Amino acid sequence: MVFEWIRFIAGTGLLVIGVAAFLLEILGVFKFRYVLNRMHAAAMGDTLGIGAVLAGLMILFGFRFVTFKLALVLVFLWCASPVSSHLISRLECTINEDLEKSCEIETKKKRQE
Amino acid sequence: MELIQQYSTIFHIILVILAVLTICCLIRAVKGPSIADRLVAVNMMGTIVMSVIAVLALLIDEDYLVDICLIYAMISFLAVVVLTKVYTGVYIEHRAHQEEKRKQREAEEEKTAEEKGKECHGV
Amino acid sequence: MSRRIPENEYGKRPMGAFRQWMEGSRDPYAGNVEVRAHDMPGESEEQLKKYQEEVFTVLRKAQDTANNNQYTLFRKFYRVAALLCCLTLTLLLFITVAYLPPVGNAGNPANNEVAAKYIEDGMQDTGAVNIVTGMILDYRAFDTFGESNVLFIATCTVLILMRNDKKKGKGSAEEEERRDSFHEPKNDRILQTVAMVLVPFIILFGIYVILNGHLSPGGGFSGGAIIGAGLILYLNAFGFEKTERFFTAKTYKWISFLALSFYCIAKSYSFYTGAHHLESGIPLGTPGDILSSGLILPLNICVGLVVACTMYAFFALFRKGGF
Repeated sequence: MVFEWIRFIAGTGLLVIGVAAFLLEILGVFKFRYVLNRMHAAAMGDTLGIGAVLAGLMILFGFRFVTFKLALVLVFLWCASPVSSHLISRLECTINEDLEKSCEIETKKKRQE
Repeated sequence: MELIQQYSTIFHIILVILAVLTICCLIRAVKGPSIADRLVAVNMMGTIVMSVIAVLALLIDEDYLVDICLIYAMISFLAVVVLTKVYTGVYIEHRAHQEEKRKQREAEEEKTAEEKGKECHGV
Repeated sequence: MSRRIPENEYGKRPMGAFRQWMEGSRDPYAGNVEVRAHDMPGESEEQLKKYQEEVFTVLRKAQDTANNNQYTLFRKFYRVAALLCCLTLTLLLFITVAYLPPVGNAGNPANNEVAAKYIEDGMQDTGAVNIVTGMILDYRAFDTFGESNVLFIATCTVLILMRNDKKKGKGSAEEEERRDSFHEPKNDRILQTVAMVLVPFIILFGIYVILNGHLSPGGGFSGGAIIGAGLILYLNAFGFEKTERFFTAKTYKWISFLALSFYCIAKSYSFYTGAHHLESGIPLGTPGDILSSGLILPLNICVGLVVACTMYAFFALFRKGGF
């Protein structure tokens, strides 16, 4: 009986932490002023938010087949989400014409020498 | 499991909060001044919806909804890949086209300036 | 075409002529129905001026629509006739709708005993735990055959509109694609490394969804879409040359043809026999196993293959104009 309660509280606690991470992510996305900064906040939801939510759900489900599926979802998302960020940031750097105003650009000076 | 059904109010509240967050993402997608803003917002919406589906799978105790979660992750990743590729190509082509037109115009202006200079010298 | 007879001799026989016409190398109208150019007027000025005057008069009269009685009359008649046609059609449809019974009436054809029978006897008759799959692939398999055919027809339509047949040289499919995607970022190392890991996983997951159609929600349509998405990801990461190593137009043709003809052989007897059910030799098995429910599993695989090929074909046709 106590074990059930511990499981319930642990699972729900992780779930609430995940939702709090999502809330902070939305706050960050609205407060920052430039896309590349907002992407920092968005990545937080993709990793910590969904990680905590799925970990809490795994604890709440118990030891069933669904737990493995949730772990699989997590692994897939953690592999695919950084690539999305890489592609979006490359898009932003190519398209933006006033890039010098928003961020510092370091050019590789060694190639010219 | 019984505890989950007993205290299901908590999960309902979590679902409502996540739904409100999805609407906020939509606001960001509409407001964002650049394309990358909107892509980031749509990606975020996909992730939040994934967690909504997972919590729903716990509430109604049906296992197959987690498959839908996985499909959502795949499709949103694929969308980002294709969209960035197409947008970059369109933009660079547009710029190259504009450069060509600008160079054409400059070449014409140089030619007219030369001819005017010749006229002045001729006179 | 024929080993013993030379080509032009074979072309004179009716069978040879038919085969050449099917191939497109022979035009039966060439030399027969052709517009011959008029003899141009001679060098003298008068003839040239007269010719020009004639041309101008004809053009002026043809484009003078305000004074052309026939033309104005036709325009008025056309408007009135179009309005009358639409009103007649609308009236006929309204009369037909008026014959429908009121919504929710207990004696409606929609509220008969069919739904109850499907729910009660579904698992016993079809062997599928998922009643929806049992319905669409066993009770109503002929309708799903129509749906797969609709997908195939859609691909044919897109092929007609968008295909670029030339293989090499100016205006060919390869050159158009190279021109379109000249500025696009290619060969991104990060994307290629991740795609190498993720694409087999996506395709494997698609196969899992197809095979589990009769046990959990899924089936041929969603599984096929997932496999198509995996192929599109591979194409985006690696480019057209590498994808054409294993997925060419020939592959698409053979897969679609074999899948659809298997479905046709299995279930198109329903067109003639109605609700009478022919027993296929495959046993029903215990519900809940993968190898259960008779013919549903092979049919799911067929539908999944058709959908996957359609997804990839649409993407490739819109990008490149060919496979």
